[in-house]
Amino acid sequence: MNRRRSETNRSKPAAAEPRGKFSLRAWREQHLYSFFSSLGRLATRPWTTALTLAVLSLALALPLLFWLLLDNARDLSGRIEDARAISVFLKADADAAAAEQFAQRLRNIAQVGEVAIKSPAQGLEEFRSHAGFADALQVLHYNPLPALLIVSPRPAADAAAIVALAEQLRGEPLVDLVQYDLQWRQRLSAILHLAGRGAAVLAGLLALAALLVIGNTVRLDIQARAEEIAVMQLLGADDGFVRRPFLYTGLWYGMLAGVMSLMLIVTVEAILAAPFAQLTASYDHRFDVHGLSLASMLAALAASVALGWLGAFIAASRHIALGQPK
Amino acid sequence: MIRFEKVSKRYSSGHEALNELSFELGAGEMAFLTGHSGAGKSTLLKLVALLERPSRGQICVAGRNLGEVRKRGIPRVRRGIGMVFQDHRLLLDRSVFDNVALPLVLAGTPREETGKRVRAALDKVGLLRHEQAQPANLSAGEQQRVGIARAIVAKPAVLIADEPTGNLDPQLASEVMALFGEFQQVGTTVLVASHDLPLVKRMGKRVLVLDHGKLIDDFRP
Repeated sequence: MNRRRSETNRSKPAAAEPRGKFSLRAWREQHLYSFFSSLGRLATRPWTTALTLAVLSLALALPLLFWLLLDNARDLSGRIEDARAISVFLKADADAAAAEQFAQRLRNIAQVGEVAIKSPAQGLEEFRSHAGFADALQVLHYNPLPALLIVSPRPAADAAAIVALAEQLRGEPLVDLVQYDLQWRQRLSAILHLAGRGAAVLAGLLALAALLVIGNTVRLDIQARAEEIAVMQLLGADDGFVRRPFLYTGLWYGMLAGVMSLMLIVTVEAILAAPFAQLTASYDHRFDVHGLSLASMLAALAASVALGWLGAFIAASRHIALGQPK
Repeated sequence: MIRFEKVSKRYSSGHEALNELSFELGAGEMAFLTGHSGAGKSTLLKLVALLERPSRGQICVAGRNLGEVRKRGIPRVRRGIGMVFQDHRLLLDRSVFDNVALPLVLAGTPREETGKRVRAALDKVGLLRHEQAQPANLSAGEQQRVGIARAIVAKPAVLIADEPTGNLDPQLASEVMALFGEFQQVGTTVLVASHDLPLVKRMGKRVLVLDHGKLIDDFRP
């Protein structure tokens, strides 16, 4: 090996080639080199890197988890809004025949689809089946429950039509109370909207935090390598060359933190899966929960990588320009 | 190759480092820059390498008017100049080979070509054995020779050195100076700043003497 080397030395080196002319291959080699050497530099300081990554991945996982929660809540609320039935409680003195007659009359109204009758006896039975109520009902000597009509509007009826129908029912002489949870539904929708905005703000703030963490890490890295950078600049390295390893450092931070935050979320999903299954089973699977889709995972990872690169770019551009005349 | 026309440099502190300095160094010529410390030797070299800009006057290096070089063009100008520093400025966390290869990496030289030229440069300064050594494990004279190998590996037309023998004993200093003489013989324009007047005179090359930023003598012993 050594002999071969000294032979190459004796041969005359090739003439100088034109400067500044980068072949594509050299460009690719430089990028590949930066790509892996920046990873190697992260590995030389495992604790610092791990801590930074932990902070970053938490900052990324929090808004993702919040968003996941919100997405599930939206699904659930969509299902609730589908249940559009109006509960009509009749006056206590209305007997079964009167209730039946009234129900028949309601069925002829244009907006009404179906009308189901729950007699006071059925209502009492339902109450008994709920734990805790049975004893209380023993005390009563009579059935205090009124007859209940459950009026389902036709599928074509919109919210305004249902509200108008509820108003109309309220005016009926036989009716004691009409319950239609429009306000409650509007509130839920407003709360979900607010939470959605909150999640966006939180995500924005935490993304900013991630940007600052990466920027600061890269800034410290640049300071630690100030001498190396100065030498490179003396030898004629342009800003792009000096910046490149730091950009790749940011890229790595973003990518690793993204993967870690997704792992965190998958873990949380796995931990919560069993209790959620129990919960949905107790509701006869009337709703179900879902985890992050593959598409959202990839989007989160891409956003994380972009954040890492951007943070590094800002820090590198700010600090590398020092030490060069105008 | 290097031409100064009425060049003045005043730092923002108010210190006037160079005053109406004019001289010309032809292609393949070698000259020493001497004078007391603070006479403006380092400033003059910094102007050649575009580490500083002159306050007034015009500087041409390798046919290029440096006043016309924009900020983005500075790295390219520097890649065309070999620089040797008193404190060698090697990267201590990289091997001798990697240090010397740096200018070639910056120029985008293919890898096989880089290997050949780095070994040729190390051979020239007599350090081929230490190719894989860490610079910190070398003696001061060897470190300086690594610095010289790095300065010449990309075959620059101009080689400048700021007190390259400042940290070396007389024996090593003569050897290092002799190396610069060899580069001149292969056609490189060499400008070496040194306050070691006896050594400079022994070399028998052109000598530029600075005093308080003015050129007070230009002779050949």
